[in-house]
Amino acid sequence: MIFFQIAAKDLRSELRTKESLNASLSFAVVILLLFSFAFDPSGEAVAEFSGGLLWLVFAFAGALILNRSFARELPNDCLEVLIASPVSGAQLFLGKSVASFVLLLCIELICLPIFGIFYNITWTPKFWPLLGVFLLGTWGMTILGTLFSALTVNLSLRELMLPMLLYPMMIPALMSAMRLTTILLSGNDIGGDDLVWLRLLIGFDVVFTTLALALVETILVR
Amino acid sequence: MEKNIRIGIGAVAGLLLLRNLYVILFNLPDEMEQGPIYRIFYYHLPAYFTAMCCYMTALVTSVLYLTKRNLRYDAIAMSATEVGLAFAAVNLITGMIWGRVIWGIWWAWDARLTWALICWLVYFGYLMLRQAIDDPTERAKNSAVLSIFSFVSVAITYKAIEWWRTQHPGPVLSFRTGQQLIDPEMERMVYTNFLALLLLAFVMVTVRLNQENLQRQIDGLRRRAHAL
Amino acid sequence: MDSRNIQFMFWGLAVAWGLLAIYVVMLAARENRLQKQLDSLKRMLEEKQ
Repeated sequence: MIFFQIAAKDLRSELRTKESLNASLSFAVVILLLFSFAFDPSGEAVAEFSGGLLWLVFAFAGALILNRSFARELPNDCLEVLIASPVSGAQLFLGKSVASFVLLLCIELICLPIFGIFYNITWTPKFWPLLGVFLLGTWGMTILGTLFSALTVNLSLRELMLPMLLYPMMIPALMSAMRLTTILLSGNDIGGDDLVWLRLLIGFDVVFTTLALALVETILVR
Repeated sequence: MEKNIRIGIGAVAGLLLLRNLYVILFNLPDEMEQGPIYRIFYYHLPAYFTAMCCYMTALVTSVLYLTKRNLRYDAIAMSATEVGLAFAAVNLITGMIWGRVIWGIWWAWDARLTWALICWLVYFGYLMLRQAIDDPTERAKNSAVLSIFSFVSVAITYKAIEWWRTQHPGPVLSFRTGQQLIDPEMERMVYTNFLALLLLAFVMVTVRLNQENLQRQIDGLRRRAHAL
Repeated sequence: MDSRNIQFMFWGLAVAWGLLAIYVVMLAARENRLQKQLDSLKRMLEEKQ
Protein backbone atom coordinates (compact mmCIF):
# COMPACT_ATOMS: atom_id res chain seq x y z
CA MET A 1 0.00 0.00 0.00
CA ILE A 2 2.90 2.36 -0.66
CA PHE A 3 0.86 4.14 -3.31
CA PHE A 4 -1.47 5.20 -0.52
CA GLN A 5 1.39 6.96 1.25
CA ILE A 6 2.44 8.66 -1.98
CA ALA A 7 -1.12 9.86 -2.47
CA ALA A 8 -1.30 11.04 1.13
CA LYS A 9 1.99 12.91 0.73
CA ASP A 10 0.75 14.64 -2.42
CA LEU A 11 -2.58 15.55 -0.86
CA ARG A 12 -0.92 16.83 2.30
CA SER A 13 1.47 19.08 0.42
CA GLU A 14 -1.39 20.28 -1.76
CA LEU A 15 -3.62 21.05 1.20
CA ARG A 16 -0.81 23.01 2.87
CA THR A 17 -0.28 25.35 -0.05
CA LYS A 18 -3.59 24.85 -1.91
CA GLU A 19 -1.89 26.36 -4.95
CA SER A 20 -3.29 24.15 -7.72
CA LEU A 21 -6.55 23.52 -5.86
CA ASN A 22 -7.34 27.23 -5.59
CA ALA A 23 -6.17 27.99 -9.08
CA SER A 24 -8.15 25.29 -10.79
CA LEU A 25 -11.26 25.86 -8.68
CA SER A 26 -11.37 29.55 -9.49
CA PHE A 27 -10.58 28.74 -13.12
CA ALA A 28 -13.51 26.31 -13.21
CA VAL A 29 -15.88 28.91 -11.79
CA VAL A 30 -14.67 31.51 -14.29
CA ILE A 31 -15.33 29.11 -17.15
CA LEU A 32 -18.77 28.28 -15.79
CA LEU A 33 -19.46 32.02 -15.79
CA LEU A 34 -18.04 32.51 -19.28
CA PHE A 35 -20.21 29.78 -20.76
CA SER A 36 -23.31 31.68 -19.65
CA PHE A 37 -22.46 34.38 -22.20
CA ALA A 38 -22.18 31.87 -25.02
CA PHE A 39 -25.89 30.99 -24.87
CA ASP A 40 -29.04 31.72 -22.96
CA PRO A 41 -28.38 30.20 -19.52
CA SER A 42 -32.03 30.31 -18.49
CA GLY A 43 -33.33 28.54 -21.61
CA GLU A 44 -35.03 25.19 -21.67
CA ALA A 45 -32.28 23.64 -23.78
CA VAL A 46 -29.61 23.97 -21.08
CA ALA A 47 -30.25 20.46 -19.76
CA GLU A 48 -29.48 19.05 -23.20
CA PHE A 49 -25.88 20.23 -23.19
CA SER A 50 -25.38 20.41 -19.43
CA GLY A 51 -23.18 17.29 -19.45
CA GLY A 52 -20.94 18.65 -22.17
CA LEU A 53 -20.59 21.97 -20.43
CA LEU A 54 -19.84 20.46 -17.05
CA TRP A 55 -17.22 18.05 -18.37
CA LEU A 56 -15.48 20.72 -20.39
CA VAL A 57 -15.10 22.69 -17.18
CA PHE A 58 -13.78 19.57 -15.45
CA ALA A 59 -11.36 18.90 -18.30
CA PHE A 60 -9.95 22.42 -18.12
CA ALA A 61 -9.67 22.31 -14.35
CA GLY A 62 -8.21 18.82 -14.56
CA ALA A 63 -5.42 19.89 -16.91
CA LEU A 64 -4.29 22.46 -14.33
CA ILE A 65 -4.18 19.88 -11.54
CA LEU A 66 -2.55 17.19 -13.68
CA ASN A 67 0.12 19.59 -14.88
CA ARG A 68 1.24 19.98 -11.29
CA SER A 69 1.14 16.26 -10.53
CA PHE A 70 4.71 15.50 -11.54
CA ALA A 71 5.92 19.05 -12.00
CA ARG A 72 5.47 19.53 -8.24
CA GLU A 73 8.40 17.17 -7.70
CA LEU A 74 10.80 19.06 -9.95
CA PRO A 75 12.20 21.61 -7.45
CA ASN A 76 15.02 20.17 -5.31
CA ASP A 77 15.13 17.10 -7.60
CA CYS A 78 12.38 15.38 -5.63
CA LEU A 79 11.38 13.41 -8.71
CA GLU A 80 14.86 11.90 -9.02
CA VAL A 81 14.73 10.86 -5.39
CA LEU A 82 11.28 9.32 -5.76
CA ILE A 83 12.42 7.35 -8.81
CA ALA A 84 15.59 6.23 -7.07
CA SER A 85 13.67 5.16 -3.96
CA PRO A 86 12.58 1.51 -3.62
CA VAL A 87 9.00 2.52 -4.50
CA SER A 88 8.08 0.89 -7.80
CA GLY A 89 7.10 3.06 -10.74
CA ALA A 90 3.59 1.64 -10.77
CA GLN A 91 3.08 2.44 -7.07
CA LEU A 92 4.40 5.97 -7.50
CA PHE A 93 2.17 6.47 -10.51
CA LEU A 94 -0.88 5.02 -8.81
CA GLY A 95 -0.30 7.23 -5.76
CA LYS A 96 -0.05 10.34 -7.92
CA SER A 97 -3.17 9.34 -9.86
CA VAL A 98 -5.14 8.81 -6.68
CA ALA A 99 -4.07 12.21 -5.33
CA SER A 100 -5.09 14.01 -8.53
CA PHE A 101 -8.28 11.98 -8.61
CA VAL A 102 -9.28 13.10 -5.12
CA LEU A 103 -8.44 16.74 -5.84
CA LEU A 104 -10.33 16.78 -9.12
CA LEU A 105 -13.31 15.04 -7.59
CA CYS A 106 -13.44 17.69 -4.86
CA ILE A 107 -13.48 20.40 -7.52
CA GLU A 108 -16.21 18.60 -9.43
CA LEU A 109 -18.36 18.23 -6.34
CA ILE A 110 -17.98 21.94 -5.58
CA CYS A 111 -18.73 22.89 -9.20
CA LEU A 112 -21.87 20.79 -9.44
CA PRO A 113 -24.02 22.86 -7.01
CA ILE A 114 -22.63 26.10 -8.46
CA PHE A 115 -23.58 24.85 -11.88
CA GLY A 116 -27.04 23.90 -10.63
CA ILE A 117 -27.59 27.40 -9.27
CA PHE A 118 -26.21 29.28 -12.30
CA TYR A 119 -28.01 27.24 -14.92
CA ASN A 120 -31.15 26.29 -13.02
CA ILE A 121 -30.50 22.55 -13.14
CA THR A 122 -31.81 20.16 -10.50
CA TRP A 123 -29.20 17.50 -9.87
CA THR A 124 -30.12 16.30 -6.37
CA PRO A 125 -32.56 13.49 -7.34
CA LYS A 126 -29.91 11.82 -9.49
CA PHE A 127 -26.94 12.51 -7.25
CA TRP A 128 -25.80 8.93 -6.68
CA PRO A 129 -25.74 7.75 -10.31
CA LEU A 130 -24.18 11.11 -11.17
CA LEU A 131 -21.47 10.48 -8.61
CA GLY A 132 -20.85 7.10 -10.24
CA VAL A 133 -20.35 8.77 -13.63
CA PHE A 134 -18.08 11.36 -12.05
CA LEU A 135 -15.97 8.64 -10.41
CA LEU A 136 -15.56 6.70 -13.64
CA GLY A 137 -14.96 9.74 -15.85
CA THR A 138 -12.57 11.37 -13.43
CA TRP A 139 -10.60 8.17 -12.99
CA GLY A 140 -10.18 7.89 -16.76
CA MET A 141 -9.08 11.50 -16.96
CA THR A 142 -6.60 11.29 -14.09
CA ILE A 143 -5.04 7.95 -15.04
CA LEU A 144 -4.34 9.19 -18.56
CA GLY A 145 -3.48 12.69 -17.41
CA THR A 146 -1.02 11.52 -14.77
CA LEU A 147 0.72 9.32 -17.31
CA PHE A 148 1.01 12.21 -19.76
CA SER A 149 2.11 14.42 -16.91
CA ALA A 150 4.99 12.00 -16.36
CA LEU A 151 5.63 11.94 -20.11
CA THR A 152 5.86 15.71 -20.43
CA VAL A 153 7.37 16.63 -17.07
CA ASN A 154 10.82 17.39 -18.46
CA LEU A 155 9.63 19.55 -21.35
CA SER A 156 9.89 23.29 -21.33
CA LEU A 157 6.51 23.47 -23.07
CA ARG A 158 4.84 21.07 -20.64
CA GLU A 159 1.89 23.35 -19.79
CA LEU A 160 1.05 23.39 -23.51
CA MET A 161 1.92 19.84 -24.43
CA LEU A 162 -0.14 18.16 -21.72
CA PRO A 163 -3.57 19.42 -22.83
CA MET A 164 -2.61 19.01 -26.47
CA LEU A 165 -1.83 15.33 -25.97
CA LEU A 166 -4.42 14.66 -23.30
CA TYR A 167 -7.62 16.11 -24.76
CA PRO A 168 -7.79 14.14 -28.02
CA MET A 169 -6.79 10.94 -26.27
CA MET A 170 -9.34 11.50 -23.53
CA ILE A 171 -12.27 11.94 -25.92
CA PRO A 172 -13.80 8.47 -25.44
CA ALA A 173 -14.05 8.99 -21.68
CA LEU A 174 -15.08 12.61 -22.01
CA MET A 175 -17.68 11.84 -24.66
CA SER A 176 -19.34 9.07 -22.68
CA ALA A 177 -19.19 10.99 -19.42
CA MET A 178 -20.82 13.97 -21.16
CA ARG A 179 -23.61 11.82 -22.58
CA LEU A 180 -24.29 10.02 -19.32
CA THR A 181 -24.27 13.27 -17.34
CA THR A 182 -26.63 14.90 -19.80
CA ILE A 183 -29.03 11.96 -19.55
CA LEU A 184 -28.97 12.09 -15.75
CA LEU A 185 -29.29 15.87 -15.53
CA SER A 186 -32.29 15.75 -17.86
CA GLY A 187 -33.94 13.59 -15.24
CA ASN A 188 -33.75 10.28 -17.07
CA ASP A 189 -32.24 6.97 -16.06
CA ILE A 190 -29.39 5.28 -17.89
CA GLY A 191 -30.65 2.28 -19.77
CA GLY A 192 -31.30 0.75 -23.16
CA ASP A 193 -29.19 2.26 -25.90
CA ASP A 194 -27.30 4.53 -23.53
CA LEU A 195 -25.58 1.59 -21.89
CA VAL A 196 -23.09 1.65 -24.77
CA TRP A 197 -21.70 4.86 -23.27
CA LEU A 198 -21.36 3.31 -19.85
CA ARG A 199 -19.58 0.33 -21.38
CA LEU A 200 -17.29 2.63 -23.32
CA LEU A 201 -16.44 4.59 -20.17
CA ILE A 202 -15.69 1.47 -18.12
CA GLY A 203 -13.75 -0.04 -21.03
CA PHE A 204 -11.69 3.14 -21.34
CA ASP A 205 -10.84 3.07 -17.63
CA VAL A 206 -9.85 -0.59 -17.70
CA VAL A 207 -7.80 -0.40 -20.92
CA PHE A 208 -5.90 2.74 -20.03
CA THR A 209 -5.31 1.79 -16.40
CA THR A 210 -3.74 -1.47 -17.54
CA LEU A 211 -1.71 0.18 -20.28
CA ALA A 212 -0.54 2.95 -17.98
CA LEU A 213 0.49 0.62 -15.17
CA ALA A 214 2.34 -1.57 -17.66
CA LEU A 215 4.22 1.29 -19.30
CA VAL A 216 4.86 3.78 -16.52
CA GLU A 217 8.05 2.08 -15.35
CA THR A 218 9.64 2.62 -18.78
CA ILE A 219 8.70 6.29 -18.72
CA LEU A 220 10.05 7.06 -15.28
CA VAL A 221 13.32 5.16 -15.50
CA ARG A 222 15.80 6.71 -17.86
CA MET B 1 21.89 -0.05 -54.32
CA GLU B 2 19.29 0.71 -51.67
CA LYS B 3 18.48 3.90 -53.48
CA ASN B 4 17.94 2.05 -56.76
CA ILE B 5 15.53 -0.39 -55.16
CA ARG B 6 13.66 2.57 -53.73
CA ILE B 7 13.44 4.26 -57.12
CA GLY B 8 12.35 0.97 -58.69
CA ILE B 9 9.52 0.38 -56.23
CA GLY B 10 8.54 4.03 -56.48
CA ALA B 11 8.34 3.76 -60.28
CA VAL B 12 6.22 0.61 -60.04
CA ALA B 13 3.89 2.34 -57.58
CA GLY B 14 3.61 5.41 -59.80
CA LEU B 15 2.89 3.40 -62.95
CA LEU B 16 0.34 1.27 -61.13
CA LEU B 17 -1.35 4.41 -59.82
CA LEU B 18 -1.53 5.89 -63.32
CA ARG B 19 -2.86 2.67 -64.78
CA ASN B 20 -5.45 2.44 -62.00
CA LEU B 21 -6.49 6.03 -62.59
CA TYR B 22 -7.08 5.24 -66.25
CA VAL B 23 -9.15 2.15 -65.45
CA ILE B 24 -11.10 3.97 -62.72
CA LEU B 25 -11.96 6.85 -65.03
CA PHE B 26 -12.61 5.10 -68.33
CA ASN B 27 -13.20 1.37 -67.85
CA LEU B 28 -15.25 1.05 -64.70
CA PRO B 29 -18.93 2.05 -64.95
CA ASP B 30 -20.68 4.62 -62.76
CA GLU B 31 -22.23 3.35 -59.60
CA MET B 32 -26.00 2.92 -59.87
CA GLU B 33 -27.15 5.20 -57.04
CA GLN B 34 -24.22 7.55 -56.52
CA GLY B 35 -23.06 8.23 -60.05
CA PRO B 36 -19.47 9.16 -60.89
CA ILE B 37 -18.67 10.48 -57.40
CA TYR B 38 -18.30 6.93 -56.06
CA ARG B 39 -14.88 6.77 -57.78
CA ILE B 40 -13.47 8.75 -54.87
CA PHE B 41 -13.96 5.55 -52.91
CA TYR B 42 -11.03 3.95 -54.79
CA TYR B 43 -8.76 6.43 -53.05
CA HIS B 44 -10.73 6.97 -49.86
CA LEU B 45 -10.69 3.37 -48.68
CA PRO B 46 -7.19 2.31 -49.85
CA ALA B 47 -5.75 5.49 -48.30
CA TYR B 48 -7.42 4.55 -45.03
CA PHE B 49 -6.02 1.02 -45.21
CA THR B 50 -2.58 2.39 -45.96
CA ALA B 51 -2.77 4.78 -43.03
CA MET B 52 -3.85 1.85 -40.83
CA CYS B 53 -0.84 -0.16 -41.99
CA CYS B 54 1.42 2.79 -41.18
CA TYR B 55 -0.06 3.19 -37.70
CA MET B 56 0.26 -0.53 -37.17
CA THR B 57 3.92 -0.40 -38.21
CA ALA B 58 4.40 2.47 -35.78
CA LEU B 59 2.84 0.40 -33.00
CA VAL B 60 4.97 -2.67 -33.71
CA THR B 61 8.22 -0.72 -34.01
CA SER B 62 7.41 1.28 -30.87
CA VAL B 63 6.98 -1.93 -28.92
CA LEU B 64 10.17 -3.26 -30.50
CA TYR B 65 11.99 -0.09 -29.47
CA LEU B 66 10.86 -0.46 -25.87
CA THR B 67 12.07 -4.07 -25.76
CA LYS B 68 15.24 -3.79 -27.86
CA ARG B 69 16.21 -0.12 -27.27
CA ASN B 70 17.48 0.27 -30.82
CA LEU B 71 17.01 3.80 -32.16
CA ARG B 72 16.42 2.46 -35.64
CA TYR B 73 13.00 1.16 -34.56
CA ASP B 74 12.19 4.60 -33.24
CA ALA B 75 13.09 6.14 -36.58
CA ILE B 76 10.84 3.65 -38.40
CA ALA B 77 7.96 4.41 -36.03
CA MET B 78 8.33 8.13 -36.64
CA SER B 79 8.59 7.78 -40.43
CA ALA B 80 5.58 5.47 -40.58
CA THR B 81 3.52 7.84 -38.45
CA GLU B 82 4.33 10.83 -40.63
CA VAL B 83 3.49 8.96 -43.86
CA GLY B 84 0.37 7.57 -42.19
CA LEU B 85 -0.75 11.11 -41.42
CA ALA B 86 -0.42 12.05 -45.10
CA PHE B 87 -2.57 9.11 -46.16
CA ALA B 88 -5.07 9.72 -43.37
CA ALA B 89 -5.38 13.29 -44.65
CA VAL B 90 -6.20 11.92 -48.12
CA ASN B 91 -8.80 9.68 -46.52
CA LEU B 92 -10.38 12.51 -44.53
CA ILE B 93 -10.52 15.08 -47.30
CA THR B 94 -11.75 12.74 -50.04
CA GLY B 95 -14.38 11.59 -47.57
CA MET B 96 -15.44 15.19 -46.96
CA ILE B 97 -15.83 15.82 -50.70
CA TRP B 98 -17.87 12.66 -51.08
CA GLY B 99 -20.04 13.67 -48.14
CA ARG B 100 -20.68 17.09 -49.63
CA VAL B 101 -22.30 15.47 -52.67
CA ILE B 102 -24.06 12.52 -51.06
CA TRP B 103 -25.03 13.97 -47.67
CA GLY B 104 -25.05 17.61 -48.70
CA ILE B 105 -22.66 18.60 -45.90
CA TRP B 106 -18.89 18.62 -45.65
CA TRP B 107 -18.71 17.12 -42.21
CA ALA B 108 -21.40 14.91 -40.68
CA TRP B 109 -19.99 14.55 -37.11
CA ASP B 110 -20.69 10.90 -37.30
CA ALA B 111 -18.75 8.39 -35.23
CA ARG B 112 -16.48 7.12 -37.98
CA LEU B 113 -15.54 10.57 -39.24
CA THR B 114 -15.00 11.93 -35.78
CA TRP B 115 -12.80 9.01 -34.80
CA ALA B 116 -10.73 9.28 -37.95
CA LEU B 117 -10.16 12.94 -37.10
CA ILE B 118 -9.32 12.12 -33.49
CA CYS B 119 -6.77 9.59 -34.74
CA TRP B 120 -5.21 12.22 -36.92
CA LEU B 121 -4.98 14.69 -34.05
CA VAL B 122 -3.59 12.09 -31.67
CA TYR B 123 -0.82 11.10 -34.08
CA PHE B 124 -0.14 14.73 -34.87
CA GLY B 125 0.34 15.20 -31.14
CA TYR B 126 2.87 12.37 -31.31
CA LEU B 127 4.92 14.30 -33.86
CA MET B 128 4.60 17.47 -31.75
CA LEU B 129 5.88 15.63 -28.69
CA ARG B 130 8.86 14.41 -30.68
CA GLN B 131 9.71 17.95 -31.65
CA ALA B 132 9.59 19.09 -28.06
CA ILE B 133 12.20 16.60 -26.77
CA ASP B 134 15.85 17.06 -27.69
CA ASP B 135 17.53 14.04 -26.19
CA PRO B 136 17.23 11.15 -28.71
CA THR B 137 16.79 8.27 -26.27
CA GLU B 138 14.38 10.22 -24.07
CA ARG B 139 12.44 11.19 -27.20
CA ALA B 140 12.37 7.62 -28.50
CA LYS B 141 11.21 6.22 -25.18
CA ASN B 142 8.45 8.75 -24.51
CA SER B 143 7.12 8.79 -28.04
CA ALA B 144 7.09 4.99 -28.18
CA VAL B 145 4.85 4.97 -25.12
CA LEU B 146 2.63 7.63 -26.65
CA SER B 147 2.42 5.67 -29.89
CA ILE B 148 1.16 2.60 -28.04
CA PHE B 149 -1.51 4.72 -26.37
CA SER B 150 -2.43 6.34 -29.66
CA PHE B 151 -3.15 3.01 -31.26
CA VAL B 152 -6.21 2.61 -29.04
CA SER B 153 -7.88 5.34 -31.09
CA VAL B 154 -7.03 3.50 -34.32
CA ALA B 155 -8.70 0.38 -32.98
CA ILE B 156 -11.78 2.38 -31.98
CA THR B 157 -11.94 3.98 -35.45
CA TYR B 158 -11.92 0.54 -37.02
CA LYS B 159 -14.76 -0.62 -34.80
CA ALA B 160 -16.70 2.67 -34.80
CA ILE B 161 -19.13 1.67 -37.57
CA GLU B 162 -20.15 -1.36 -35.53
CA TRP B 163 -20.39 0.30 -32.13
CA TRP B 164 -22.39 3.36 -33.07
CA ARG B 165 -25.22 3.84 -35.51
CA THR B 166 -23.61 5.98 -38.15
CA GLN B 167 -24.31 7.60 -41.48
CA HIS B 168 -20.99 6.35 -42.74
CA PRO B 169 -21.49 3.42 -45.15
CA GLY B 170 -20.94 0.08 -43.47
CA PRO B 171 -18.31 -2.42 -44.55
CA VAL B 172 -18.60 -3.38 -48.21
CA LEU B 173 -15.51 -5.47 -48.86
CA SER B 174 -16.11 -9.22 -48.72
CA PHE B 175 -13.43 -9.98 -46.12
CA ARG B 176 -15.37 -7.87 -43.62
CA THR B 177 -18.95 -8.75 -44.58
CA GLY B 178 -18.49 -12.39 -45.60
CA GLN B 179 -20.52 -11.89 -48.77
CA GLN B 180 -20.17 -10.25 -52.14
CA LEU B 181 -21.89 -6.88 -51.78
CA ILE B 182 -20.11 -5.02 -54.55
CA ASP B 183 -19.16 -5.97 -58.06
CA PRO B 184 -16.03 -8.20 -57.97
CA GLU B 185 -14.33 -6.02 -60.58
CA MET B 186 -14.82 -2.93 -58.41
CA GLU B 187 -13.60 -4.79 -55.34
CA ARG B 188 -10.50 -5.91 -57.23
CA MET B 189 -9.82 -2.29 -58.12
CA VAL B 190 -9.93 -1.32 -54.45
CA TYR B 191 -7.26 -3.90 -53.72
CA THR B 192 -5.11 -2.95 -56.71
CA ASN B 193 -5.15 0.69 -55.74
CA PHE B 194 -4.45 -0.29 -52.14
CA LEU B 195 -1.39 -2.17 -53.36
CA ALA B 196 -0.25 0.87 -55.35
CA LEU B 197 -0.69 3.22 -52.38
CA LEU B 198 0.96 0.74 -50.04
CA LEU B 199 4.01 0.54 -52.31
CA LEU B 200 4.09 4.32 -52.45
CA ALA B 201 3.83 4.51 -48.67
CA PHE B 202 6.66 2.00 -48.34
CA VAL B 203 8.91 4.12 -50.54
CA MET B 204 7.95 7.26 -48.60
CA VAL B 205 8.76 5.58 -45.29
CA THR B 206 12.17 4.44 -46.52
CA VAL B 207 12.93 7.92 -47.88
CA ARG B 208 11.94 9.47 -44.57
CA LEU B 209 14.01 6.87 -42.73
CA ASN B 210 16.99 7.71 -44.85
CA GLN B 211 16.51 11.38 -44.00
CA GLU B 212 16.52 10.47 -40.33
CA ASN B 213 19.90 8.81 -40.86
CA LEU B 214 21.14 11.92 -42.65
CA GLN B 215 19.94 14.01 -39.73
CA ARG B 216 21.86 11.81 -37.33
CA GLN B 217 24.99 12.13 -39.45
CA ILE B 218 24.56 15.90 -39.44
CA ASP B 219 24.13 15.96 -35.67
CA GLY B 220 27.27 13.85 -35.30
CA LEU B 221 29.27 16.14 -37.57
CA ARG B 222 27.95 19.19 -35.71
CA ARG B 223 29.22 17.76 -32.44
CA ARG B 224 32.60 17.15 -34.04
CA ALA B 225 32.64 20.67 -35.42
CA HIS B 226 31.93 22.02 -31.95
CA ALA B 227 34.68 19.89 -30.48
CA LEU B 228 37.24 21.21 -32.92
CA MET C 1 -27.00 13.04 -62.09
CA ASP C 2 -26.25 16.72 -61.71
CA SER C 3 -23.07 18.30 -62.98
CA ARG C 4 -21.82 18.80 -59.42
CA ASN C 5 -21.51 15.07 -58.98
CA ILE C 6 -18.92 14.61 -61.72
CA GLN C 7 -17.25 17.91 -60.89
CA PHE C 8 -16.75 16.89 -57.28
CA MET C 9 -15.44 13.52 -58.42
CA PHE C 10 -12.63 15.32 -60.22
CA TRP C 11 -12.01 17.49 -57.20
CA GLY C 12 -11.83 14.42 -55.03
CA LEU C 13 -9.34 12.65 -57.26
CA ALA C 14 -7.33 15.86 -57.58
CA VAL C 15 -7.17 16.20 -53.80
CA ALA C 16 -6.06 12.59 -53.38
CA TRP C 17 -3.26 13.00 -55.90
CA GLY C 18 -2.49 16.54 -54.81
CA LEU C 19 -2.06 15.75 -51.14
CA LEU C 20 0.31 12.89 -51.89
CA ALA C 21 2.19 15.12 -54.33
CA ILE C 22 2.51 17.80 -51.64
CA TYR C 23 3.94 15.24 -49.25
CA VAL C 24 6.41 14.06 -51.88
CA VAL C 25 7.48 17.67 -52.49
CA MET C 26 7.91 18.15 -48.75
CA LEU C 27 10.06 15.02 -48.59
CA ALA C 28 12.17 16.18 -51.52
CA ALA C 29 12.63 19.63 -49.99
CA ARG C 30 13.75 18.13 -46.71
CA GLU C 31 16.11 15.79 -48.54
CA ASN C 32 17.68 18.77 -50.32
CA ARG C 33 18.01 20.78 -47.14
CA LEU C 34 19.60 17.92 -45.23
CA GLN C 35 21.97 17.14 -48.07
CA LYS C 36 23.05 20.78 -48.23
CA GLN C 37 23.61 20.90 -44.49
CA LEU C 38 25.61 17.70 -44.62
CA ASP C 39 27.77 18.95 -47.50
CA SER C 40 28.50 22.31 -45.89
CA LEU C 41 29.35 20.63 -42.59
CA LYS C 42 31.69 18.20 -44.31
CA ARG C 43 33.38 21.04 -46.16
CA MET C 44 33.74 23.03 -42.96
CA LEU C 45 35.30 20.07 -41.15
CA GLU C 46 37.74 19.44 -44.01
CA GLU C 47 38.82 23.06 -43.97
CA LYS C 48 39.43 22.97 -40.24
CA GLN C 49 41.48 19.80 -40.34
